[in-house]
Amino acid sequence: MFHWLEKHPFFFAVGVFIVISFAGLIEILPSFAQASRPVIGTAPYSTLELAGRHVYISNSCNACHSQLVRPFKSETDRYGHYSLSGEYAYDRPFLWGSKRTGPDLMRVGNYRTTDWHENHMKDPQSVVPGSVMPAYRWLFTNSSDIETAFAEQLTVEKHFGVPYNKEIPLKDGTTKVVKIGQSVAEAKALALEEAKVIAADMKDQDVKDAVARGEIPEIVALIAYMNSLK
Amino acid sequence: MNKLYLGGSIFVALMLLFTYISVAGSKGGLNSDIVNMLAVAGAVAIVVITVFVVIKYVRQMQVDTASGELAKESWDGIGEYKNNVPMGWAIMFLLTMVWGMWYWLIGYPVNKYSQIGEYNEDVAVHNTKFQEKYKDISGDKLVEMGESVFLAECKVCHGLSADGIDGKAANLNKRIDAASVKYIIEHGSNNKLLGMEMPMPDRNALFNATSGALITDAEIELVANYVANGMSGEGADVFAGACSSCHGADGKGVDFVAPNLAQYTPALVVNVLNNGKKAAIGAMPKFDRLNDKQKEAVGAYITSLSSK
Repeated sequence: MFHWLEKHPFFFAVGVFIVISFAGLIEILPSFAQASRPVIGTAPYSTLELAGRHVYISNSCNACHSQLVRPFKSETDRYGHYSLSGEYAYDRPFLWGSKRTGPDLMRVGNYRTTDWHENHMKDPQSVVPGSVMPAYRWLFTNSSDIETAFAEQLTVEKHFGVPYNKEIPLKDGTTKVVKIGQSVAEAKALALEEAKVIAADMKDQDVKDAVARGEIPEIVALIAYMNSLK
Repeated sequence: MNKLYLGGSIFVALMLLFTYISVAGSKGGLNSDIVNMLAVAGAVAIVVITVFVVIKYVRQMQVDTASGELAKESWDGIGEYKNNVPMGWAIMFLLTMVWGMWYWLIGYPVNKYSQIGEYNEDVAVHNTKFQEKYKDISGDKLVEMGESVFLAECKVCHGLSADGIDGKAANLNKRIDAASVKYIIEHGSNNKLLGMEMPMPDRNALFNATSGALITDAEIELVANYVANGMSGEGADVFAGACSSCHGADGKGVDFVAPNLAQYTPALVVNVLNNGKKAAIGAMPKFDRLNDKQKEAVGAYITSLSSK
């Protein structure tokens, strides 16, 4: 019956390809598109948080810390609700990771605070005896790169339609707006405003002075990012 | 006797010899244990079967001739014999397809299992067991449970011995320290320590009834030390004048008005766990993901720390 197909191997191959991709298309794509939509409460990163994310990546935090809570009771007891695909909608790239030398950080903003992070990044062993994490003291002196963060914001807003300056629905029924600057100067001003809130909860006088002068040390951006992980 | 059979038999004999030598030469030898015997039996079976199956097919290649009815098609002169599916095979194939459809749709429906579903079941089972097991827990057992929850969730900030790690978090071995009292008087407070909105005003609204004026720096110093010392020492008159109207004459708090400053109570701790807290040292996030029994246990543990 199909001997004519066997005589035309090229068209046979094309036919097989079409049948298999059709099955893939109708089975995989719709649920993928559904699951990757942002869940309620997932908001885009603000300028400072994004700068903190860059600090996180450039210091390879993701080499030891995953950001993916799996649906097992032992994990949800420790880290909170298991992760949903939609929660990574604004992560470019996502930082799931598959190796945990340190704990998962997917929801660290729920159970650690600014002042704890400050103590911990300065001297991890002072708050977690026996910790193998190194100290990250240079974060307290290096300045964070707001320009790059702003550039990324502009790019994702323009090309992926990330909803900056729009109302984002939150879990408690309210909404919030994540602002994006219209110019580099405005973006820096917005980031500084956020940085002041973080610095107010910090103890390090040098960091506080730097923020008061209008500089944003990397630690402030990183803590803003950590606090946004919920 | 064909040459092939002769060769095969010699090969089998050689293999068996090697097997015998290697087993007999090994520690334990041939007869000592059943595992060795089984291994040898297996080796013999494999060698014999393999050799004779190979011989059968080689013979077939040597002597068989093609026969049968040719199919219509011919590819560049190469034909194909009609080779119908054996009936038994065809029946098994169809049955397998029927079974496959049944298994996919009914026997094991595609939506029956999900990882999240399994997770939810696990959690439900665990919660039921937890409720059942710890329904009537109290006293020392409750304190023990509180300690284990503390070591899992709280020690990262408060330290293994709950001392706050050199002021990085509150020292839970005493109710409150002087710096915290001063901070609260300076800045006011709204930490929902009673489980509801009940703000305490800052110093600009704290009237000292004894002196008839707003509370002064010196008085704040005095009363902070008085409260931090567990309601003793100098400053009792300031406390009586400025604080006792809400916190009670003994500092043990008044229901629905002000929290207990003299000692921890489980209810106070539970409210902190539910709402988090922000004061002199920094912020504490809320830990409302603990279940009620665990919160109660942490309350009992922390209360026990300062009442020893």
